[in-house]
Amino acid sequence: MKLLIKHIKIEVKKHAFDYLLFFTAGVVFLTGLNVFRGERLLEFIILLSFVSFYIIWGIYHHIIEDSLHMKIVLEYILIGFAILFLIKVLIFP
Amino acid sequence: MKHIIDTLHHFFVPRHSNNFNAKLLHHDFLTIYLILAILFGAGIKHIRQNSNILGYATDVTIEKLYELTNSERSKNHLNTLNYNEELAQAAREKAADMFAKDYWAHYGPTGETPWQFILGSGYQYEYAGENLAKNFVFSDGVVNAWLESTTHRENLLRKEYTDVGFAVVNGVLNGEETTLVVQIFAKPLYAKDTVAQAPQSAEPETVVKIPATQVLAYDDSPTNNSFFATYLNINVVFFAVLMIALILDFYFAMKLNLIRVRGKNLIHFMFITFVAIGTLIIIRGSIT
Repeated sequence: MKLLIKHIKIEVKKHAFDYLLFFTAGVVFLTGLNVFRGERLLEFIILLSFVSFYIIWGIYHHIIEDSLHMKIVLEYILIGFAILFLIKVLIFP
Repeated sequence: MKHIIDTLHHFFVPRHSNNFNAKLLHHDFLTIYLILAILFGAGIKHIRQNSNILGYATDVTIEKLYELTNSERSKNHLNTLNYNEELAQAAREKAADMFAKDYWAHYGPTGETPWQFILGSGYQYEYAGENLAKNFVFSDGVVNAWLESTTHRENLLRKEYTDVGFAVVNGVLNGEETTLVVQIFAKPLYAKDTVAQAPQSAEPETVVKIPATQVLAYDDSPTNNSFFATYLNINVVFFAVLMIALILDFYFAMKLNLIRVRGKNLIHFMFITFVAIGTLIIIRGSIT
């Protein structure tokens, strides 16, 4: 566990701005959902925006890190959209 | 046993057999998750359109709302409310009015008040109150949200009330499929002292039947009361498995100093965590 936390700290320190940016987007996402609670269309738009941000963040981060590859972009798209479709059922039951 | 452990390692831990990427995070597996998620959504929509198995009324039921309301009142040493069909009728009328005139409030755009629906149902009240909620997925979420709001809580725990009626109605509000919950409390103007006037004869006790849910004419699909709980549990398991795979993959990749062409596990983990918290907000709906 100690080793895991140490590795996380190293990773976050190395890309502090990128992780802070994502964390801020996450807080905005949760705040948006809370403000527009019960408004299904707005909830879906907020979720879609967050998923899009996550994919764009991935592309941006790997460009900066000079490690962008089609396989990486695909990974972000697959995870992002799988979760989008799963949660969509709960927003539009 | 060794075979099971070996398989688990193959799925969760990066090593030579999985090309140093946890198998559950391989592109083929991620594609399967996406396809399953799409099929789930499409399947539910298809079933709903072609049969009456699922409605979009979620898991909110009058029976559960009634039970939870009385349970909260009991915890606060208050009298148990009787289910009143006239108040339920008033609640249904109120919900129908909100859908017809496209509003979601205690007072309508043309001056409608909650009281006119109660009186219209034939119930003469001395005290009355109304709680509204929309787009909740579970009954306990509705009652909890009411309890967290001071005004709704006061309404729910008012000692004067003796009767309650509910409506859980599906319809289209502001162009969106919406599930409305209307709860109306009241005390009749000429309240009978039920204890004093209880018949001494051997007549059977009248049992008030509580409908599982009330659905208006424009949506005749009944609800499946366990579907969303099951679906949510599936999501929780899926999220948990994915997060464990991400953490283990991250840990061993760091430990073994692996250099791989793949996304950042930490950001995937953060993304899933935020969405999981967001899901808890989404299923809560809103009250007024």
